[in-house]
Amino acid sequence: MTEMEEQSGPPTTLIDPIDMSKLDTKFREQIKSMPNSEELSACFACSTCTAACPIANIWQYKPHQLIRMIILGMKEEVLSSSEIWLCLTCYQCQERCPQKVRVTDIFFDCKNLAAEEGKVPSNIIGLGKELLEKGQLYTVTADWEREDLGLEPAVPGLSVEAVKTILKETRTNKLVEGGE
Amino acid sequence: MPIYNLYMGCSVPANYPNYEAAMMKVAETYDIQLEYMEGVGCCGSPNLRAIDYLGWLTINARTLAIAEKNGHDIVTPCNGCFGSLKDVYHFLKHDAGYRKKVNDILKKDDLEFKGTITPRHFVEALYTDIGVEEIGKKITKPLDGVGIAIHYGCHLLRPIDVTEFRPEYLNQLVQATGASVIEYPLWKQCCGATVLPVDENLAIRLARDKLKSMKESGAEFIAVVCPACGNQLDLQQLGLKESYGEEFNLPVLLYPQILGLALGMTEEDVGLSMNRVPADSILNHLTG
Repeated sequence: MTEMEEQSGPPTTLIDPIDMSKLDTKFREQIKSMPNSEELSACFACSTCTAACPIANIWQYKPHQLIRMIILGMKEEVLSSSEIWLCLTCYQCQERCPQKVRVTDIFFDCKNLAAEEGKVPSNIIGLGKELLEKGQLYTVTADWEREDLGLEPAVPGLSVEAVKTILKETRTNKLVEGGE
Repeated sequence: MPIYNLYMGCSVPANYPNYEAAMMKVAETYDIQLEYMEGVGCCGSPNLRAIDYLGWLTINARTLAIAEKNGHDIVTPCNGCFGSLKDVYHFLKHDAGYRKKVNDILKKDDLEFKGTITPRHFVEALYTDIGVEEIGKKITKPLDGVGIAIHYGCHLLRPIDVTEFRPEYLNQLVQATGASVIEYPLWKQCCGATVLPVDENLAIRLARDKLKSMKESGAEFIAVVCPACGNQLDLQQLGLKESYGEEFNLPVLLYPQILGLALGMTEEDVGLSMNRVPADSILNHLTG
């Protein structure tokens, strides 16, 4: 047995209490009004989502903690977290939730709220820029490869204009302009 | 003869014309009419959904509305496009508020989303509308039982209430070619493609875990039905070899390439030389 160290003060805190004054009590309702988030409050923190997540072990905030943080109103922490952007969108958490909480879909809602505040990783803004300027993420460059395979060199029916026009009127445009 | 609206998306035509060519030839064999959709573009991918929900809903609702005009279901060879289209279809059918918002935008082009046609993955259409038995009847060079690990891809399987796709469909389609389906522990796991723009290292780790699990379970080849998953599992093998000297030697084939070869097509027909990890060893497993 090791000897107890002499204590000079009270024991250290195991869990830092949440600062109630920093909670945004409306955050929960805000998320609940977004797509596929109706079941948010049904979460009973069983952490099945975390057990199902293939990368939760490298996350500071685990999926079940993020859901709990939304319910508590920790808006700033959730919307600034890197975890929401690292979500693989593999839906393993959502598929296994016994309470039918659409965990992955809720993280999409969080990302949209973060985007509304301009908090988006620069590479994702870059993809938005591609869509806005080119109307697609990949463009055919090696058309001879297509011809060799008996395909039309250009993709039949492809039109990139509509995508550009639509995204000019939605948040993508604001984000791309804001990022420049 | 079933007729479909063919939605290619942007990745397959640009990066995997061999997938497109093999799919078109397989469709021809089974008298499936795939008609390239007119006036459509990219689905935006989950990245657009993350930053601009309304924009993502609208561009996909527009594609669905264009298909509704001729009444044929959409088929696509890409899990990303399938996931986006199916998710938007499912969501707008149930959410009247967003349906109105989106249709107000589409009205300018005289389009309206009604939800009258269904977006489907090409392999699901093969399974449901042609059927494994009919598919088997045309096979002239069945595979010799070689072990193939299937990577289904997340957005084909989940969320199940949206995708309505069951892994058995693809299992049976692969078995119909004469191959054996290798079960492996990480069969449900993500390939990592979605996080590639945010954390490349994490994406590589996920692909490696997956490859390791397949290899250790005895797989000799991998079957995929998505360009993004294909890219992760195929291209990353070259990177792992170059960076760490780690070799898995697991050729990655798009499902229509496997079926096409079993139907007697040549390696040129299915564009086998474009696969990154050399895949010509599959030819040694053709019989008949």
